[in-house]
Amino acid sequence: MKLITAGILAGFLATTLLATTAARAEDMVFTSWGGTTQEAQTKSWAEPFTAASGIKVMQDGPTDYGKLKAMVDAGSVNWDVVDVEMDFAIKAAKDGLLEPIDFAAVPKADLDPRFTTDHAVGSFYYSFVLAWNKGAVSGEPAGWADMFDTKKFPGKRTFYKWSAPGVIEIALLADGVPADKLYPLDLDRAFKKLDTIKSDIVWWGGGAESQQLIASGEATFGQLWNGRVFALEKDGADVGVSWNQNLTAADVLVVPKGAKNKDAAMKFLAAASSPAGQAKFAEASGYAPINTKAKAEMPADVVKGLPDAHVDGQINLDMNYWAEHRDEIATRWYAWQAK
Amino acid sequence: MSVETRQSLPGFRMPAGFNGLLPALVLIVLFFVVPVLALLLRSVTEPEPGLQNYAALLGDGTYARVFFNTFLVASVVTAVTVLVAFPVAWMLAIMPSALASIVFGVIILSMWTNLLTRTYAWMVLLQRTGVINRTLMATGIINQPLPLINNLTGVTIGMVYIMLPFMILPLVGTLRAIDPMTLRAAALCGASPFQAFRRILLPLSLPGIAAGGLMVFVMSLGYFVTPALLGGTSNMMLAEMIAQMIQSLLNWGLGSAAAFILLVVTMALYALQLHLVGARRMSGGA
Repeated sequence: MKLITAGILAGFLATTLLATTAARAEDMVFTSWGGTTQEAQTKSWAEPFTAASGIKVMQDGPTDYGKLKAMVDAGSVNWDVVDVEMDFAIKAAKDGLLEPIDFAAVPKADLDPRFTTDHAVGSFYYSFVLAWNKGAVSGEPAGWADMFDTKKFPGKRTFYKWSAPGVIEIALLADGVPADKLYPLDLDRAFKKLDTIKSDIVWWGGGAESQQLIASGEATFGQLWNGRVFALEKDGADVGVSWNQNLTAADVLVVPKGAKNKDAAMKFLAAASSPAGQAKFAEASGYAPINTKAKAEMPADVVKGLPDAHVDGQINLDMNYWAEHRDEIATRWYAWQAK
Repeated sequence: MSVETRQSLPGFRMPAGFNGLLPALVLIVLFFVVPVLALLLRSVTEPEPGLQNYAALLGDGTYARVFFNTFLVASVVTAVTVLVAFPVAWMLAIMPSALASIVFGVIILSMWTNLLTRTYAWMVLLQRTGVINRTLMATGIINQPLPLINNLTGVTIGMVYIMLPFMILPLVGTLRAIDPMTLRAAALCGASPFQAFRRILLPLSLPGIAAGGLMVFVMSLGYFVTPALLGGTSNMMLAEMIAQMIQSLLNWGLGSAAAFILLVVTMALYALQLHLVGARRMSGGA
């Protein structure tokens, strides 16, 4: 009997010891959203970084804000660098969940100031674009208003499921709000507009899902990250894309407060945000670089397909507004979804 | 905490057989009681001390609907699972044992397959552009795809499929314990097959149905992956709502409160079931 209890305790000790040694054996952990994006990040950043510095980069994912907060709260942080949406980064910095960036280790001069803060450096920036399955849509959708026109374009349309910058703005633009009058967001008006097509919406929760929905024709068209459309085109899927009023937002790289390998993390950030790292990633993913010197290192035809080749009519989603109102919008968003 | 010290406590004697239970109790306290207490604590201390999380949950139409949905889905899934599982279990009970063990093997094998994989398989089958709809449209039975996914239908199909083994296994045990002579006797006394089923087989198999049904119902209450992938946002179940609160809103107090309410309701149902069916019949029937 005593033996069994002792055995259990010994087992606990052994697992704890194993866990700590396992954590020490790896050099750092990079966490992102999985799928084609994380593959591109691994190839463009992690592999060259390991080759140059000898620091091993373990991949984890998908990014989970609840987990990040749990790790920081519990003081047991297993992630060193995390790819997050920028509005979350701004709020998380306010809530004390992030380490400040050491700009002595991460050169700041060439980084796009729109996506650089004291607690984050840009990862990439992207656009929400209107994409459709050419085989399933008759005619060509021309802009966001068409997503709400079920007469002209019948069928299911797909939108991003989580409460985040994008869908609310699309609803307002479709309802005729001018781009420069979007903020502060008129939520009542947006939800009223969304109500008109609610039964025709299929939600996508992750990039891979959005690709599957459009490629299979399950959704005839929808709001996608431009990089996922790029990946679909690369795979030879028959997709159309409209950059009309494309909405830009950014992912940024952050270091959770109390990360075990902070020095390695800062070195990794320097490599990921370098002109070469950014150029390679943009080429692999179709997302835009956040280092202003990156484009000089990229083939001209790739540059043409990036979000910053479509600045005409482009709208920047207001990350600061979202960081400010994140919870309040999210509460309403999920309540509306569940109705 | 050794045996000697315990016996030296004056006037305090451990109940007989307690020694063997200690490791199990230690495990239960460590892995169940402590986390549940931590959950309760969180729900009344975050973001500030008080009962405001519970007030918000119980006073809001959206949350009420999600609670209602959760119980609706669990009830529907349990009912359909019983209906589908009963004939299968009956077949297994009267089959030659060699054949039965092969069928059992298949059932157990499906339980070992990754849940997410099985759910995605249903997505591929049920989509508007999925296998089922394409087949039905090709044969001309329908000319519009049936809405089989992102609704209650999809959730029910996917969850019944996953829950079936949990219903079949206890039922087979109960049915095998029924003496076949009772049915023969019923037939000799002039009972029709349906009467024999309703008046002999069904009452005798009730403990198995109750045991399996409770397990399926309670498991369904906490289901996450399958409803999230096969249901629509309007069929959201509690587990997904808790995940949203914790992952997207980072509102741990609210999430913990919702989880705690679910736990309490589940425990209450279990107690009610024990009271109605009786503990002895619940613990495996015959």
